[in-house]
Amino acid sequence: MLSTDQRGNILVVQVEEKRIDASKAPIFKDEMTRCIEGGQNQIVLDLSRVDFIDSSGLGALVSCLKRLGPRGSLAVAGATGAVSRLFTLTRMDRVFALHPNVEAAVEQLSA
Amino acid sequence: MKIRHILLILTAFLGVALLVAVSVQIRNEVLEYQTAHRMVASNAVRERLLLATDALAAERSQTYALLIDPDKAGEKTRGVDEVRRQVDDLLQSAERTIEETRTSLTNSDGSLTLLSGIRQAVKALRDLVDASLNPDESRRSRELAPRWFQETSRLIEDLQSSRLTLLQRERPLEPTLRTEANLRTYGGILSESIARNQALMTHVLASPQGSSGLDLDAISRNAGRAGLVWELIDGQPTASLSEPVKAAIASAREDFRSTLAPLQQSLLVSLLSRVPPRLDSDDWYEITGRSLNSVAMMQQELLSSSRTRLQAELRRAERSVALWTTLLALGVGAVIGSALVVRRRVVRPLEELSRTMLRLADHDLTTPLPRDTRSDELGAMSDALRVFKANAIKRERTQNEKQMLHARLRDAYRQLRKDLEAAAVIQSTMLPPPSTMGGVRHRGLFRPSSLIAGDTYNVVRRSDGGIGFFQVDVAGHGAPAALVSVACHHALSQAILTRTQGTPLEEIASQINGDWPEDLPYFTMILGEVDPRSQRASIIQAGHPSPLVIRVDGTVEALGDGGFPVGMIAAATYERLEFEFEPGDRLLIYSDGLIEAEDAKGEAFSEARLRQVIVENAGNPTSVLLEVLDGAVRNWRGSETLEDDLSVLMLERLAERTPAHAVH
Repeated sequence: MLSTDQRGNILVVQVEEKRIDASKAPIFKDEMTRCIEGGQNQIVLDLSRVDFIDSSGLGALVSCLKRLGPRGSLAVAGATGAVSRLFTLTRMDRVFALHPNVEAAVEQLSA
Repeated sequence: MKIRHILLILTAFLGVALLVAVSVQIRNEVLEYQTAHRMVASNAVRERLLLATDALAAERSQTYALLIDPDKAGEKTRGVDEVRRQVDDLLQSAERTIEETRTSLTNSDGSLTLLSGIRQAVKALRDLVDASLNPDESRRSRELAPRWFQETSRLIEDLQSSRLTLLQRERPLEPTLRTEANLRTYGGILSESIARNQALMTHVLASPQGSSGLDLDAISRNAGRAGLVWELIDGQPTASLSEPVKAAIASAREDFRSTLAPLQQSLLVSLLSRVPPRLDSDDWYEITGRSLNSVAMMQQELLSSSRTRLQAELRRAERSVALWTTLLALGVGAVIGSALVVRRRVVRPLEELSRTMLRLADHDLTTPLPRDTRSDELGAMSDALRVFKANAIKRERTQNEKQMLHARLRDAYRQLRKDLEAAAVIQSTMLPPPSTMGGVRHRGLFRPSSLIAGDTYNVVRRSDGGIGFFQVDVAGHGAPAALVSVACHHALSQAILTRTQGTPLEEIASQINGDWPEDLPYFTMILGEVDPRSQRASIIQAGHPSPLVIRVDGTVEALGDGGFPVGMIAAATYERLEFEFEPGDRLLIYSDGLIEAEDAKGEAFSEARLRQVIVENAGNPTSVLLEVLDGAVRNWRGSETLEDDLSVLMLERLAERTPAHAVH
């Protein structure tokens, strides 16, 4: 469900699914965990294709962030609509660095 | 038709065919044997008759000679007695033979009657002869002589004719036997011709003057007949005859041609020309006696040869019958044997296999298999059946195990479901029933997506009169979320009830958040309280959708813009939101399951539609409003099921208490 694009030391992870819900969250978490355990600590998560994230999906996202630890960073790009509202509602906009698009996120992380 | 019937019918058919063929052959052989037997019998009787005929002819000649010359009676009587005994013996012997072969021959009674008649006639004639042989009666005896001759000749003819009748009836088909029979017949005629002439010529020579032309005529006729007989004899095919027979014929012919015929001719010539013959009657008698002997020798040889041939033929027929009977027995044995072998080696094992197969096909796996260690096709079938049965047993065992597993799963599922149903009942009893306390009326809507939900809510009244309330939505749903929701329910209810005066709500939230075990799912909530002493209320929004306030005038406003869920970020802090909550105002708290409920096309019910329903029904009492809302969501979903738990809690501040109460 994920496709990755290495840009320097930044890994851009594109979520191919439209939803991250209870049925997809474990897979998402596993694949992300593999990336993180593979040594990636600068990750941009592209959510531009995602329409909906439920509580399980949000939990998976937060657990990825926790796994990455204080030395790494997980930026979120392209969150819109319901996804964006969820981030705001749960104050995750304060936990994740949100960017309008991947380029902006990459630029921010590279800086 | 079963195989056993086909095989048995085939075997029976082959057996019957074989039996019929052999039986026909045996019948032929038996017929041949019977024929041979009859021929042997007929031949034996004819032999006796022939010998008796010859003996009677000899008696005739001797007695005739005695009668015409009684003076010589003394020296000849002994010879006559001898020949009479012979005749009697042979006639009796012939009768005995006929008696013995009565079963084989036809018309034995006729022959016996004839023989007994002949014997009586001979006896009567002999009595006459004996009576006339008295020396005083010599004239009478001479007169008797022709009569004797005539009578005995007639008897001889009778014997001959009875013999020929037998020959006619039992005519042999084998050429050599036929030739021999013919030769014997001719020999009989020859013998009779010679014997007659022996007697007649003796008479003529004894008294040449007294001889009549008739006698000479008869002699000449007999001589002619004898010559004719020889021509007939010579006309017979002799190639197949045995050497002794040929030699006897040659000897008889030699005697006749070189001795008797010329002598007889010259005597006739002398007698006709009245010249005294140069031979006396005794010499003639002796010469013809020798001739008769040689003819008798010939007859003996022929009889002996025929007898040998017929015996050989009889033995051959016997052997043949025995052979074919043995073959028949062997054939019957072979048929019965093959039927038994087919039954034992093919039919029975096949039937057993077929019975076993049918039982196995009928799922009777306890069927014992035929214990057969044969190496033929039936053995292979039996082996295949063994494999089939083993597989069937294995399959059945697997099937049983599967069924048992399935039953266990079903039981486990039933138990689980029963447990969940019980848990659901418990969970629903944890929810506060609609009621009013401290001027606040509340009513909830609770729709789990499965039996038990991760959503829960409660309204409690603190000892200081404050009304605490919360709604929780644990991340995820189902049993884990439900268990966590129970924990939350308890923790929050206790926290509200036991918090010391003045501890702000945000601290309660922070405390719970800080204490929340990291490996439990997080939850969102609205935690709030209605101040009993003012027209205000406050809430903590922890990741939960913003509650709506429905003012008494029908306007609807959303409260707050968010907050951290509980149990997600340990360092999270919370803000308290205070708002006006006046009599008639209603607070509607809902979990995200309400606005995220999707229709068939995947479109969420949405906050906008929620607000629309609220606005449209703001004038309705809470119970109606909740009913309408529930109906709207069901209608939106198009089904009774939900993807996520859905709960709504509505609080309504009632109008000021009655004045009586207001005093306090």
